[in-house]
Amino acid sequence: MLLLQLMVDGVQSGAIYALMAVGFAIIFGTTRTFHYSHGAAFLLAGYTFYFGVSILGLNGLFSLLAAILVAIAFGAFIQLAVYRPIQRDAGSFFTMVVASFGVAVVVENLVAMYFGSGFLSVTSSFSRSQDYFGLYISKLGMTIMVVTPLVFLLLIAFLERTRVGLALRGLSDSPELVAVFGLSSRKLCLIALMLGSALIVPAAVFQTMTAGLTPSAGHRVMLISLAATIIGGIGNPRGAGIGGLLLGIAESLSFWKLPTGWSDAITFLILLAFILLKPSGLLGLRTRV
Amino acid sequence: MLNYFANLITVTGTSVILAVSLNLLIGYAGIFSMAHAVFYGVGAYAAALLGLYYCADLMVAIPVAMLAGALASLLISLPALRVRGEYFVAASLGLQVIATTVFEQWESVTGGLSGLGGIPVATLFGFELASPISFMIVTVAFVVLVVLAVVWLLRTSFGRDLRAIRDDETAAGAIGKNVTVIKAIAVAVSSALCAVGGVLYAYNIAFVNPESFTLNLSVLVMAMVIIGGAGTTMGPIAGAVLIQALPAGLSWLPLPVQNIGYLQQILYGTAMALLMIYRPAGLLGKARGKA
Repeated sequence: MLLLQLMVDGVQSGAIYALMAVGFAIIFGTTRTFHYSHGAAFLLAGYTFYFGVSILGLNGLFSLLAAILVAIAFGAFIQLAVYRPIQRDAGSFFTMVVASFGVAVVVENLVAMYFGSGFLSVTSSFSRSQDYFGLYISKLGMTIMVVTPLVFLLLIAFLERTRVGLALRGLSDSPELVAVFGLSSRKLCLIALMLGSALIVPAAVFQTMTAGLTPSAGHRVMLISLAATIIGGIGNPRGAGIGGLLLGIAESLSFWKLPTGWSDAITFLILLAFILLKPSGLLGLRTRV
Repeated sequence: MLNYFANLITVTGTSVILAVSLNLLIGYAGIFSMAHAVFYGVGAYAAALLGLYYCADLMVAIPVAMLAGALASLLISLPALRVRGEYFVAASLGLQVIATTVFEQWESVTGGLSGLGGIPVATLFGFELASPISFMIVTVAFVVLVVLAVVWLLRTSFGRDLRAIRDDETAAGAIGKNVTVIKAIAVAVSSALCAVGGVLYAYNIAFVNPESFTLNLSVLVMAMVIIGGAGTTMGPIAGAVLIQALPAGLSWLPLPVQNIGYLQQILYGTAMALLMIYRPAGLLGKARGKA
């Protein structure tokens, strides 16, 4: 029974990880930008939601919309103000990482200055666990397990059925070919950043309602997103979802035998194993790296 | 006041060692490690354990820590030899997190989260380096030695092999260079030199805990190298000095007291992003040809 409970908990946190990772996977897969600030987008979305619900006393749905707007605005800002000027100078991968890290530090400290450095969360009866035949699940947990597949289905439909979605996938395969088709890769990169940042919102909101937020959570969000993206296979948002789920379950099962402090090590041991043995990931293309 | 500046120079010197040793990987070997703090930590824990249970002689601690760093570096050369680019970055990030967990959880050796305290005063040739000034002088001497070692290494044929591999690994292999061995040696040397920084840190603060060797430090060291200019001799030194002096300099600014820590970090992050936008090759870097 304990094992089953851990499985359920694992699926629940894995769903949140999957939601965290999918935006990063889209940004990384299409623009090849190592978007360290993905964690910053998470913070901005989570704290906007908290601000709306707990401080202004607004309706949850309205706060959710505000969080989405803030995340999209942040994605657009970082692409236009930071990534694009660097790309213009044929900047290398690492110049981007340092710039992105700088932005993440600014956001983390702005948030900490306003909200303080402690844990904040939005709790309600919704997030309280209930007993179902010996298993403890909250209504929120069930919502997470329903919303996550829904988000993925919508996203996949968008990427596979719409013109913009197809162009984004094209950009990840061959930027030159996208230009030949008369599409602007600059515009597509902007769309990828805005879409990827908007996708962090459900994860941020769920995290705010379950474990809570701290200003330093951004780094971990970025690490988990990166791990899930690579485990799933770069360039495939579905892979990031499966990778996130796998990491959540593995982390939860590690509580069965190991002290709690080791769960991060488990996550990254799995990542290392994939990088060494199967770098293309679960669903990635079979290319040499 | 004098002691304050002596300590500032010691701390900056330690960062210079970190940045210069990482530059060997980023700038010359083309290995973008984000796990440099691990070897700093290995060096610091080795020095702390030696100091607590054996002796605090730098002539013992430095070689032992360098050996420990070089051995630990096998952890990073394994992925470095198999994968490149973003995959290696991810692997090194993973190693960094795992190492932090080990530092935190291996309580019988590392003291866990509370760390190891009460490290005795370091000695060198029988002299006790008790005052901040004497420790500063020794630190500066080691910084000079490390910088000279790197400069010398890069002038040998080994240095040329390294650059050949960075610029074109396949071509270097085709003319008969043993890419695997050269890369592994570069990683081992870099980690060993980094461990020297760890030893100086441990004896300077007399206390080590896992918080000093986290991902944040690894990223910071990488930022020192990139901001100063990767692949140049003076760049990483300038980057390290700048990044260490910035918080100290900012503390002279008339900022509101209650938020001073946050404001410093905000200015710091802004400076990092702006520098990368306007000087992507680093302060002392040449205009970039190929990224």
